[in-house]
Amino acid sequence: MTRTLDTAHGDRERTAAYNRDFWPGMVAYGVVLAGVLAWGGLDGTSPWRFLWVALPVLPALWVLRAVVRHLGRIDDYQRQLVFRGLSVGFGTAMIVSLTAGFAMIAGFTWIGLPWVIYGAGMIGWVVGQAIASRR
Amino acid sequence: MNNRVRERRESRRLTQAALADLLGISRQSVNAIETGKYDPSLPIAFALARVFDTRIEELFDPGA
Repeated sequence: MTRTLDTAHGDRERTAAYNRDFWPGMVAYGVVLAGVLAWGGLDGTSPWRFLWVALPVLPALWVLRAVVRHLGRIDDYQRQLVFRGLSVGFGTAMIVSLTAGFAMIAGFTWIGLPWVIYGAGMIGWVVGQAIASRR
Repeated sequence: MNNRVRERRESRRLTQAALADLLGISRQSVNAIETGKYDPSLPIAFALARVFDTRIEELFDPGA
């Protein structure tokens, strides 16, 4: 039969490879972040807190490596979808960043702005990729 | 671009997943080629022609 919704062996291998790359980094990121927040004394006065606050960057780099390696494994069409999503996410983050910058020049105080930019970028990426996949 | 990939695949009783494995691409990409959402690169077009033992011109039609 010509069932069309089964999974290709290659797809399963690529997904498994991505999971093997991605999840150790993501779990390490969560653990390091939780450790830093719990014991890093970020609201204290020790100069060490600047080191602790940068520590989650190390596992985050592992996650970045996993994404880049995944881009190398997927095919042209899938890469096209990911890049469309990423471009929407990047554009959204830039627009929010610029708008917030101008708003702050005008005297608006935006607490937690980096998180807003981060969230906008991530949501833009996910939504952009979902739309690109459906078209 | 119009193509006869689905027709050829079904006549060979291949699933999209099986064809994807033969071509070394994802099932999602095979589906996108069949539905005309994605025009494959030359290496994939040649691989398709090889799998179906035909010429690229018989698989793909640039249309009017």
